[in-house]
Formats: sequence, C-alpha cells, structure tokens
Amino acid sequence: MRQQIVDTKISSHVSGEADECLFEYLHTEMVNYTLSKSVNKKEKEEELCRLEWMGFSVGYRIIERLTRECSRFKDELDMIKFICTDFWISLYHKQIDNLRTNHHGVYVLQDNSFRLLEKVGTNSNKQYLQESPRLLAFTCGLLRGSLANLGIISTVNAEISTLPTCKFHVQVQQI
Amino acid sequence: MTIHNLYIFSKNGTLLYYAEWNRLNRSGITKEEEAKLMYGMLFSIKSFVSKISPLDPKEGFLYYKTSKYTLHYFEVPSGLKFVLNTDNASQNARELLQQLYKEVYLEYVVKNPLCQLNEPIQSELFKLKVDELFKKSPLFLSRSI
Repeated sequence: MRQQIVDTKISSHVSGEADECLFEYLHTEMVNYTLSKSVNKKEKEEELCRLEWMGFSVGYRIIERLTRECSRFKDELDMIKFICTDFWISLYHKQIDNLRTNHHGVYVLQDNSFRLLEKVGTNSNKQYLQESPRLLAFTCGLLRGSLANLGIISTVNAEISTLPTCKFHVQVQQI
Repeated sequence: MTIHNLYIFSKNGTLLYYAEWNRLNRSGITKEEEAKLMYGMLFSIKSFVSKISPLDPKEGFLYYKTSKYTLHYFEVPSGLKFVLNTDNASQNARELLQQLYKEVYLEYVVKNPLCQLNEPIQSELFKLKVDELFKKSPLFLSRSI
C-alpha cells in the first residue's frame, strides 16, 4: 500500500504541474459555483451543505479504491489512523500533524499547513480568515464520506484560528 | 546595485500591483496617473520596437537604460507585464522577474482561490513573498546615494 502511494507521488511530479493543480483549480470553481447559486446571504450555510455532500460522495468512492490492499481494521482508532496517514498523504501529500481523541468518539485532526489554505495566508495576518471556511466544506464531507464507507457514522466540523492551520473535529455517533 | 520599484500590469493595462524600495524622486502625480503614463509608454515602445526592427523581433522589447537607471520589461504569453526599475549596475534582472512570476505570482495569486485575477492584488501573503524574494536577491543592496 505504502509503496503504491510513493509511486503515484513520484509520477505526479514527472507528469507536470497540471496534475497537481487540476484538483485545486476544480475545487476553487466548485466553491465559487455553489456560492454563486446561493440566493441570499442567509442561505450561505445551506449552500456549503451542498459542497459538503459532494465531498461525502467523493470520499465514499475514494475509500473503496484506497483500501483495496489493506487488511481489515482492528477498531475505530485504527481507521482514523489510516485516514491521518495513508488517506491524507494520497490526497494532500502530507500526513495529519496532530491527532487527539478523548477515546469516546471525538477525534481532532490538526493539519498545520493544509494544502487548500497554504497559498491563502500566513499566521502573521488575519486576511481571508472569514472566507476560509468555504474552502474546508468539501474536505469535511470527504472525511465523513470515507468514514461512512468504513462503517463509522459521524459528523465532521472544521475550525480555523490562524491560516494555514486547520482542525477537523470528528464526532462519531454512538450506536 | 539596487532595486527601485516594481509594477505589474494585467493584459489590458490595469495596475495589479505596485511596490517601491529605494525611490528617491517622486513623480508628483497620483499612483493611478503614474501607472497609466507608464503603461502608455510601454505600449508605445512595444509597437515602436516591433515596427522599426529590421529583423524579426523574437522577444521584442526587453529593457531600456538611461544615465541613471534601467527599466526591465518582462511580458508573459498571457499578457501579464512585469516592469522593474533598477540602477545600471544590476544584472540578471530578467531572471529575477521570471522567478517572481513563477514562484510568487503563480503560487500566491493564481493558486489562491480567494484572489480575483485581473484585479489589483490584495493578498497580504503575496506582498510578503514579493518583498522576501527581492530582499534576498543579490540585486537588492540598499544604500543611500
């Protein structure tokens, strides 16, 4: 599994920049499109839902392919660890920097330089902080969708205090 | 060697970004007027060069030099124009402009989803990176003349 990820990473560098940017630019357009569809300011929350739903479907599919050579996971924590390492590397070229849990279904995944935010700002200024949440809705859905296909029903929220650091709060629904 | 100032113009002549470091003489007009004047002159020089050149001008206008300063001009195929004023001793300003385009403009404007293209650049991160790039460049040796 690891070997395969390393391979695709190298080949993406060889095949040029378009590969790298395609997702980023498409993501930008998706965000703009869904926001442009919102009728008034009050509905903005609602529209991010749509983006989150797209992420959910994508994540649900991605996990099928990504885990094809993995053995079964022991428990919930094992799955979250997989998300933090292999899953994150294959999508964002790096691992989650920090994972915290209360062992009762709450996980906090912290990325200190999230790929979709690192070109937007640094911790030295507060510019764009307000607009940033819209760049995270898709990824929240992605996380939720992947976990759903692994059998974990959850809610995922994102939090940004300083760019480009962000935290994803995963709350697992206890059955 | 020293860098005086930098203009970035869009394809249709909007001033996207202006920065200055060691500029001793003010033009006495507003920044907007100055940008229009600058763009007009560049536009004329460009068409002058392409008309007057006895051979096929491959790259067209590259730079001009006065007794005091040199103006370097770098235009990319998409029509974006970078203009840099340095003193006459500065070399490789063209490479610096290419680097500015590739490592700063592409990364922090084009890849920033919250930046509108062809509008004046607001991103603080971009401003920071431009300043960083120029200050670490060998061309940038600030000294009082």
